[in-house]
Amino acid sequence: MNIVVCVKQIPDPAEPGALDPNTKTLKRDTKLILDESDAYGVEMALQLADAAGGGEVTLVSMAPNNETAGLRTALAMGAAKAILVSDPSLQGSDALTTSKVLAGAIKRVEGADLILTATESSDGYTGTVPEQVAELLGLPSVTFAKSIAVEGSTVKVERQTEAGYDDVECPTPCVVSVTAGVVEPRYPSFKGIMAAKSKPVDELSAADVGVTAGGWAGAGQEIVAVEQAPAREAGEVVEDDGTGAEKIVAFLENLRVI
Amino acid sequence: MIDWSDEQQMLREAVRQFIEKEIVPIHDDLEHGDLPPYDVLRKLFATFGMDVMAREGFKKRIEFEKAVAEAEANGTEPPAKAERSGGMDPSMTMIPIMELCRYSPGMVTAMGVSMGLTAAAISSRGTIAQKERWVPELLTLEKIGAWAITEPNSGSDAFGSMKATARRDGDEYVLNGSKTFITNGPYADTIVFICKLDEGNPPEERKILSFVLDQGMAGLEQSKPLRKMGMHSSPTGELFLSDVRVGRDRLIGETEDVPSGGRAGAKDTFSMERSGVAAMALGIIERCLELSVQYAKDRVQFGKPIGEFQLIQEKLAIMEVHRLNVQNLVFRYIELSQQGQGLTLAEASAMKLYSARAAMEVALEAVQLHGGNGYMAEFKVEQLARDAKVLQIYAGTDEIQITHIAKDLLRR
Ligand SMILES: Cc1cc2nc3c(=O)[nH]c(=O)nc-3n(C[C@H](O)[C@H](O)[C@H](O)COP(=O)(O)OP(=O)(O)OC[C@H]3O[C@@H](n4cnc5c(N)ncnc54)[C@H](O)[C@@H]3O)c2cc1C
Ligand SMILES: Cc1cc2nc3c(=O)[nH]c(=O)nc-3n(C[C@H](O)[C@H](O)[C@H](O)COP(=O)(O)OP(=O)(O)OC[C@H]3O[C@@H](n4cnc5c(N)ncnc54)[C@H](O)[C@@H]3O)c2cc1C
Repeated sequence: MNIVVCVKQIPDPAEPGALDPNTKTLKRDTKLILDESDAYGVEMALQLADAAGGGEVTLVSMAPNNETAGLRTALAMGAAKAILVSDPSLQGSDALTTSKVLAGAIKRVEGADLILTATESSDGYTGTVPEQVAELLGLPSVTFAKSIAVEGSTVKVERQTEAGYDDVECPTPCVVSVTAGVVEPRYPSFKGIMAAKSKPVDELSAADVGVTAGGWAGAGQEIVAVEQAPAREAGEVVEDDGTGAEKIVAFLENLRVI
Repeated sequence: MIDWSDEQQMLREAVRQFIEKEIVPIHDDLEHGDLPPYDVLRKLFATFGMDVMAREGFKKRIEFEKAVAEAEANGTEPPAKAERSGGMDPSMTMIPIMELCRYSPGMVTAMGVSMGLTAAAISSRGTIAQKERWVPELLTLEKIGAWAITEPNSGSDAFGSMKATARRDGDEYVLNGSKTFITNGPYADTIVFICKLDEGNPPEERKILSFVLDQGMAGLEQSKPLRKMGMHSSPTGELFLSDVRVGRDRLIGETEDVPSGGRAGAKDTFSMERSGVAAMALGIIERCLELSVQYAKDRVQFGKPIGEFQLIQEKLAIMEVHRLNVQNLVFRYIELSQQGQGLTLAEASAMKLYSARAAMEVALEAVQLHGGNGYMAEFKVEQLARDAKVLQIYAGTDEIQITHIAKDLLRR
């Protein structure tokens, strides 16, 4: 079974991020790492390929400056190869352009039975790419998967809902977005890390994947202004007169968290 | 080599994540509660495939040795050593050592003695059958090893004053003696016991023999862990042997005719052990420096961060100088090994001497920079300072390293 995993390479969330005042977007000129959200997709793909008794996991990513650091991490975990689309003309691309680029790259992978993405990325988190990719590829899509099993040409997904989960079935090939935390991403083995260096990464331009009007030009949206989040307002102080516990319960119930 | 490669950095990052997830939560039990380090070390090995790699590496080496032995027996041309792409890459062991030492240098001691010293003692002079019997499980940490030379009255002068004996008795040997300060002694499954062959001749003329013992053999007693200053995550103990009977199959090499009466230190073991200490020192220094820089920024006295006082700046500067020097020694060792070259005895000793002293100085200065907090367990530098001290004592004391360096220089 051949699986494609979309992996976004993002600025390290542990480092203080900065906005570019001109473009009002996150600066991406530092080393980028594998988005943790996508580590779950990679792990899921590796487990599914294992369960199917073979097949390849291929990574697809769009990132600036020919960045491969995040891809190498996923290759070290066990993915077989990667396609990277990196092109200055793609700078400023919106989610739809991103999806066109990813769809264009996925088309080049022969015999893909399943395309996995995360539900949303950790930095942009529009959460719109997976469905757009599915639409552009003309494939069915299932979102919020908390587990995936493949039986023949049917994908069985437990789809996370607020109350529990839905059982969903869908024919392959299809696009499935995976929720965070559903599997434990493996550590790359030492051997895997050493092998990752020599695994193939196919670097493509926007034109190679058929996207001509990418970047700022093609964006259907514009960031008009960026404001500081308002300072947090002072909380409510409740003196415990013996009914403190009940007040906490009432407060939490009001928030619908219990 | 002037910096870690991308792969090496990825390796470090992965090991660091494992340590933060698996070791930090049990750190207090390891350092203050006698929790043996072996299970979590095994998990580390399994997680990164170090056990599989060790097994595969062993299999290749032993197949080669068998082919050579067979050719020698048949009088045919022995096979050429398999062409490897360069030498071995010691960074795969150095990096876990460094990363572990940021939290628990003791775990490295326990690991190093088991898969390093003990396995190497059998690998370097054992027969093929002996290697197959004991080495793979030591390399994977399935079995824990101990290497016992030190005795209550014999330390730096290990061979001169050694009292432990082996006496022939028919086809067997009878072993007696006490060993102390033995890393993993309390828990070891496999023990290399070093002693003198007593043929009724004067002690200084006796041959040095090494035997492999298994836990539970009649007459072998393994003590409880000894209380000590630091390295609490490395259990250290005593071994008592009274009339332990062993067959020749447990005599390493299965021969009494060992080169230079068994006194020649295995050079590979020396440089492995001494470079390992340098990597340990680097881990300790890096962590102490990081904690100190942060503290110098955060701690305010006399209305400013203490990092603005020149006396504090001097401490940070000295720590950085040591960090760079030890790192360069480690890089040099890695690059030499990758090219298939070894260190001279003087170089290995110089590396160990400098690194051990640097780690001690940095850790003590880190305690000083942290003031009263530095003396408290919560701030971690006190533990690293206690741990660092032993780097100047085991694997040859500072004084012994100095004599080795000088001897080598004066011989030229
Ligand atoms: C004017 C403008 C400004 C923008 N500014 C920013 C900004 O400052 N910071 C920012 O992060 N984004 C910004 N974006 C959005 C960004 O360029 C794309 O929308 C983004 O690449 C995809 O959106 P997302 O991260 O929200 O994806 P989501 O829909 O949240 O991602 C879901 C999943 O899709 C996959 N995926 C998404 N992107 C990629 C990719 N590039 N490669 C491989 N797989 C991928 C991953 O599996 C991901 O987890 C801006 C867009 C526009 C138009
Ligand atoms: C935590 C720990 C773990 C250990 N693990 C092991 C182990 O696994 N296996 C094992 O066999 N041993 C082990 N040892 C023992 C260790 O190798 C010895 O402690 C060390 O070799 C020093 O010997 P000693 O303690 O007898 O000191 P001594 O040799 O008595 O030295 C006392 C002092 O005299 C100095 N000195 C001695 N000779 C000279 C000289 N010629 N010139 C100048 N100064 C000299 C020493 O440097 C030292 O300062 C361990 C020790 C410790 C502390």
